[in-house]
Amino acid sequence: MSRALLIVLGALLAANAQASGNAEKGKQKAAQVCVACHGADGTKPSAPDQPVLAGQYYDYLVRALSDYKNGRRTNPIMKGFAAQLSKEDIEDVAAWFSSQTTSPLHNQR
Amino acid sequence: MDSSSRFALDFGTLGLDQKSEMSQPILASLAAAVLAFGGQTAFAQNKAGEDVPHPGTENFHAQCIGCHGIPGYKTAFPNVYHVPMIAGQQPGYIVSALKAYKSGDRSHPSMRGIAASLSEEQMQKLADYYGRPAK
Repeated sequence: MSRALLIVLGALLAANAQASGNAEKGKQKAAQVCVACHGADGTKPSAPDQPVLAGQYYDYLVRALSDYKNGRRTNPIMKGFAAQLSKEDIEDVAAWFSSQTTSPLHNQR
Repeated sequence: MDSSSRFALDFGTLGLDQKSEMSQPILASLAAAVLAFGGQTAFAQNKAGEDVPHPGTENFHAQCIGCHGIPGYKTAFPNVYHVPMIAGQQPGYIVSALKAYKSGDRSHPSMRGIAASLSEEQMQKLADYYGRPAK
């Protein structure tokens, strides 16, 4: 495989892994906003009906947080937290949680 | 039960093999059970008389795999994003999500349709199958 093709593939993979959002900023934000219920890396929900976020798809997390923020999803607790997040914050925390490689979530049983 | 006796049972319940070592009453009740719980249909009827997937059906969970079991699979409508991973998610969260779809609190059209057909017991079964408590 040519070197140029490898570089292109690598860039595509990197772009895919982090579609948008800054995971490092997301880590800071998550440590303030999300940590109490979901754990700092999204692997430790504090109650049985709270989801694991670590390793979940970036675009799904963005979607979920955006829906909480705009009222399409109606959980009263999440509405309050999502309201504190800007669009950029949402992309950042989604990048942080989706980039976690240690997670119980997987595609296939 | 070894594989040979399982074959004998299967043929016996279909009435194709009269040489089964099992007694007729046991065979008859097993055949009835197979007919009642999945031999003929993957559906049962709920109180409203509507067909719903039967919780005892062997591959009841398979209805989720088409979207949630494919790595990288994306929704097609109304917006495009990855279908979330549910395997390994907390069972309690899976149940609450299904309930929210059924009640209309969550709005994805496909999931609303699917959740509407599920009883709470069926939601719990699916959650237990796919999920795992995080701690």
